[in-house]
Amino acid sequence: MTRGVGRRSFLTGALLGAATAAAVPAGAAESQLADGPAPAVPFHGVNQAGIVSPLARQSAFLSFDVIAANRTELTDLLRTLTDRVRFLTGGGQPAPVGITGPPSDSGVLGASVPADGLMVTTGVGASLFDGRYGLADRKPARLTAMRMFPDDDLNPAWCHGDLLLQVAAPHNDTVLHAVRDLTRHTRGAMQVRWRLDGFTSPPRPSGTPRNLMGFKDGTANPSTSDTKLMNELIWAGKGGAFSQPGGEPAWTAGGSYHVVRLIRMLVEFWDRVSISEQENMFGRRRDSGAPLDGNHEFDPPDYPKDPVGTAIPLTAHIRMANPRTAKTDDNRILRHGYNYDLGMDSSGNLNQGLIFSCFQQDIQRQFEAIQTRLIGEPLVDYISPFGGGYFFALPGVHDSSDHFGRSMLG
Amino acid sequence: MPEAPTPDDGVRRWRPSRRQVVVTLVVLVVLGAVLIAVWPGGTAQQAAAPATITVSRSNCGQGWTGSSSGAQTLTLANRDSSNADADVVAVGGPNNGKVYGEVDGLGVNTSQPVQVTLGPGTYAIRCLIEDTDPIMGPTVRIGGHATHNATAVPFSNSDLLAPLKTYQAYLATGVADLVTKTDALDTAVKAGNLALARADWLPAHLTYETLGAAYSAFGDFDGQINGGTAGLPGGVNDPSFTGFHRVEYGLWHGENVASLATVTDQLDGFVHGLQAALPKIEPQTVDLGLRAHEIMENTLRFELTGRTDEGSGTSLATADANLVGDREVVGVLRPLLATRYPQLSDVDTWSQRFQALVEAQRGQDGTWTPVSQLTTATRERLTGTLSQLVELLAPIAAITEPRRVS
Repeated sequence: MTRGVGRRSFLTGALLGAATAAAVPAGAAESQLADGPAPAVPFHGVNQAGIVSPLARQSAFLSFDVIAANRTELTDLLRTLTDRVRFLTGGGQPAPVGITGPPSDSGVLGASVPADGLMVTTGVGASLFDGRYGLADRKPARLTAMRMFPDDDLNPAWCHGDLLLQVAAPHNDTVLHAVRDLTRHTRGAMQVRWRLDGFTSPPRPSGTPRNLMGFKDGTANPSTSDTKLMNELIWAGKGGAFSQPGGEPAWTAGGSYHVVRLIRMLVEFWDRVSISEQENMFGRRRDSGAPLDGNHEFDPPDYPKDPVGTAIPLTAHIRMANPRTAKTDDNRILRHGYNYDLGMDSSGNLNQGLIFSCFQQDIQRQFEAIQTRLIGEPLVDYISPFGGGYFFALPGVHDSSDHFGRSMLG
Repeated sequence: MPEAPTPDDGVRRWRPSRRQVVVTLVVLVVLGAVLIAVWPGGTAQQAAAPATITVSRSNCGQGWTGSSSGAQTLTLANRDSSNADADVVAVGGPNNGKVYGEVDGLGVNTSQPVQVTLGPGTYAIRCLIEDTDPIMGPTVRIGGHATHNATAVPFSNSDLLAPLKTYQAYLATGVADLVTKTDALDTAVKAGNLALARADWLPAHLTYETLGAAYSAFGDFDGQINGGTAGLPGGVNDPSFTGFHRVEYGLWHGENVASLATVTDQLDGFVHGLQAALPKIEPQTVDLGLRAHEIMENTLRFELTGRTDEGSGTSLATADANLVGDREVVGVLRPLLATRYPQLSDVDTWSQRFQALVEAQRGQDGTWTPVSQLTTATRERLTGTLSQLVELLAPIAAITEPRRVS
C-alpha cells in the first residue's frame, strides 16, 4: 500500500483545523434574501421560448463567431447546444463523473440545478450563411447584416455575429450559470464576439417597467395571446391581413427575425433636461406613462384629433415610431427592452442604456421602417446606438430527438 | 511603457501554490459540511434521509443494503476516530476496481452525500482511514438496467513513478540545453552585440518555456528566471524584476549594455542554480496530471493575452513552446491513460490544431505576429482552440491523481 500520497493525504490533514472553527448562523440574512426558483418553461415546442414569452427580470445577450471547422462540427455544435439548453431549462441533477474529471457543473445554483424559468433563445446571423458551411442557399429570405442608420455610432466589435443566444431568467445567478455552462461545452466551436447583460426593473410603482431615462418602455406592444396577430407580425413565412411574406425557405417555419440594438443612454445629459422637454420627446408623461393627450398609461393616443401636434408633438418618439395608421399597422414589432449598466466611460459618465430587442416577421417591413421614420427624432441627441445585430431566431426544438437547426442543416 | 501591474493580473512568482489554494477551499467546504450537519434545520435533517453508510475501521460499508440501478445519493458517515476518505467501487465483473464516486477528506463524525449513477452489478464501499490499510465493506448487489456514470480504475502512486522518472529525465535534458543557450545570451550581451543578443534571447527563453514550469514547479527559480511585473510595486524598474522578461524589456527598449549585462549575468546565475538544484526539486506524482492542463491554462491566461510580453512580441512562440512541454507530460502519462481516458485522441486532435494555428503566425523570417496584431477571427480561433484543449486536458488531473487502493 501507499501512504502519504500528494494532494490527497495533504487535504486530509487540513481537516483537523476546520472542525474546531466556530460556527456562525446566517438565518436572518438568508430569510431576507430567500426567493424561490420559478417553475420550468417548457423547452420543446413549435417555437422557441423567449419570443412571445413575458419579459424576464434578468438577461444576457451573447453573440458568437462560429469557429467550427466544417458543417459536421457546426451540426455537433447545435446538437450540443440543444442538449445543454434542454438540461438547463428542465433542471435536475448534474451528471456525476466519479474520479474521471472535474465536476460537470459549476455548482453556482447548488448541488441540483433548478429550472428557474430559464429561457434560452438561439438565433443565427447572416454571416453563418456565407461559404464556410455550405448554407448559402438556406439563408432566411429577409436576413441581412444590420445596417448603419444615420444616427448610429456602431463599433464593429459590438456588432453582428454568426449565432446569438438570448439567455433570460428571473434571477441573475440562473442566467450566469447557464452562460457558463453553454460556453464551457462549446469552446472549440464558437467564441463570444460580444456580450451584454440586461435587467428588467420591477413596475415603479405599477404598469410597464421603466427604462433608465425614467420612462415606461414597451407599453404599446401587440398582444402575444392574439395568435392571428402573432402570425401576421411575428412568425416567419406566415401570412395575414397585412402581407404575404413569401420566399422563405421551408425550414424557417416557427422562427422569427430578431433585431438586437445596443443603445447607450446619455443619462447625465438627460438629467439636465427639463421635464416638459423630456416628455415632449417621448410623447408620454414620465410619472404615469400616459400619452400626453391622456390620463392613464394604457389610454391610446388619438392622433387624428391632434393633427398638428399640440398635445403630442409630431416629432414625439411614440408618434414617429407608431403613427397608428392603417398603413403603418404592419410595421408593428414585439419589443423586449432590457436595461443595461456597464460601469463608467472615460469622461466619468455612467455607461448605461438599453438592450433593445424585438421580434418580427420581416426586418425591412417592420424594424427598419420604424427606425427610418425615427431618423433625426429629437431623442437622438440623448442616445447612441453602438452595437447589436440582425438574427433569425430558429424554429423551436420539437421533441427529444430534434435539435436546433435540424431543418436548416437537413 | 508596459502597463502598471494590476491586482488581477497575477504572477507565477507570488501566487500561492495551487495546492495551498486547494487546502484553503477544502477547509471551507468541510466547515460548511460540519455546519450543515450540526445546525438545527440544516439540509441534512430536511432531506428525505437515505440510508447512511458507515465509514469506519470496524463497520466499513454498514448500512448500504443496495437498491436498483440509476442515479442515487449515498450518504457516507465517518464513525471512526480518525479522518477518512471513501470510495464507491465495483467488485468483480468487467468493471472490477472502477471507482464510481468518492468522498475526499471526511472528518470524524461528519457525513457527506455522494451522487452516483450505478448500473447493474456488485459494489462495495472502500474505507480509507488515516494510517490504516484500505478496508473493503460488504458487497452489495444492484439490479436493473441503468447506464452507470463515467468511471475509471484509479492509479496508485507506484503506477506513476515510471512516468515521473521519464519526465524528470526530460527536464534534466531541457535544463542542460537552457544553460547552454543562456550562457550564449549572456556572452552576446557582455560582448555588446545587441543584435546577436536579441537573436539569442528567443531560443533561450523558449527552451525554458518548454519545461512546464507552471504553478511553482521549480519553486522560487521560476519567478527569478521567468517572472513578470505583476506584484512588483516598481513595475519594470523594480529590483525584483529579473530573468528573461527583464532581459526582454531591456533588449527591446534600448537599454545600455552595461546595465543589461548585469541582468543577463544574474539570469545566467539563476539558470545554473536551477541546474544544480534540479536533482533536489522532486515533483510529486500528483503534479504530473495537474501539469497537463496547468501548463496550457497559463498559456491561455498569460500568452494569448500578451500579458507577459515585454517588447519582443513573441507570446505566440511561447505558446508553441508551452505546447511542447505539455505534450511531454501527456506523453509520459499516455500508456496509463490509454485505457482510462476515452477522449485522449481528442486531446491529440486539439493539440495539433492549436499547434497549426500558432505556427501559422510565424513568418518566413522566423518572426512572430504579436498578439496585439492578430485579427479578431484569428484570435478567436486561437483562444477557442486552446480553451477546448484545456477542457480536454483537465480530466487528466482527476484521473491520474494517485489514490490508495490496496
